[in-house]
Amino acid sequence: MAKAELKSETKTEIEDSSSLKGTLVSVFFVGFFIVVLWVGVYFLYLDRF
Amino acid sequence: MHMHKFEKIWLIFGVTALLVFLSVLGVSAFYLGNQPPSCLAVVDPTKVDEHETFKEPGLKKVEGKDWDYELVFVAQAFAYTPGTVEVPLGAKVKVIATSKDVIHGFGVAGTNINMMVEPGYISEIVTTFDKVGEYLVLCNEYCGSGHHLMTSMIKVVE
Ligand SMILES: [Cu+2]
Repeated sequence: MAKAELKSETKTEIEDSSSLKGTLVSVFFVGFFIVVLWVGVYFLYLDRF
Repeated sequence: MHMHKFEKIWLIFGVTALLVFLSVLGVSAFYLGNQPPSCLAVVDPTKVDEHETFKEPGLKKVEGKDWDYELVFVAQAFAYTPGTVEVPLGAKVKVIATSKDVIHGFGVAGTNINMMVEPGYISEIVTTFDKVGEYLVLCNEYCGSGHHLMTSMIKVVE
């Protein structure tokens, strides 16, 4: 019995695997987290004697 | 060499951050004249009790200096002298400390005062006590079995 051929015509948009968009977002997520921490610590330093 | 545009962006970001931090360090040291608390001032650790500054620990009013008071601490296992001291609110104080035996810490909880106290060296920090309260002085360099009991108290009073 022949199997019903599975043929879908839907085209999924696959990004070029060399795209670095996700990497860019991740890098700046970490980067800005560090900057926010640094600013916070600096103002804590200014507030104390 | 081919480099992706995004790679350039985060490399520039990283290198800029590095340059900013190095500049901050340079301005702090060479323009503002900031020094580490222990900066080449020495004392004979066996003769601390006879030393001009350390023979009478505690708060002393001084004249003709950039600060109004000098607060002298002597650290030894496992206590500070004085064990408690009152400082008037708003006083500009130079905290001066040394150790008679091993390396101790001098951290004042909730403030920016935090330095190492090494035998043979004088650690100094200038600050203005501008908030009323009781501030716990803690040893934050492990110095022996009584390390956790080594405390003092600075009371900032009006
Ligand atoms: Cu200690």
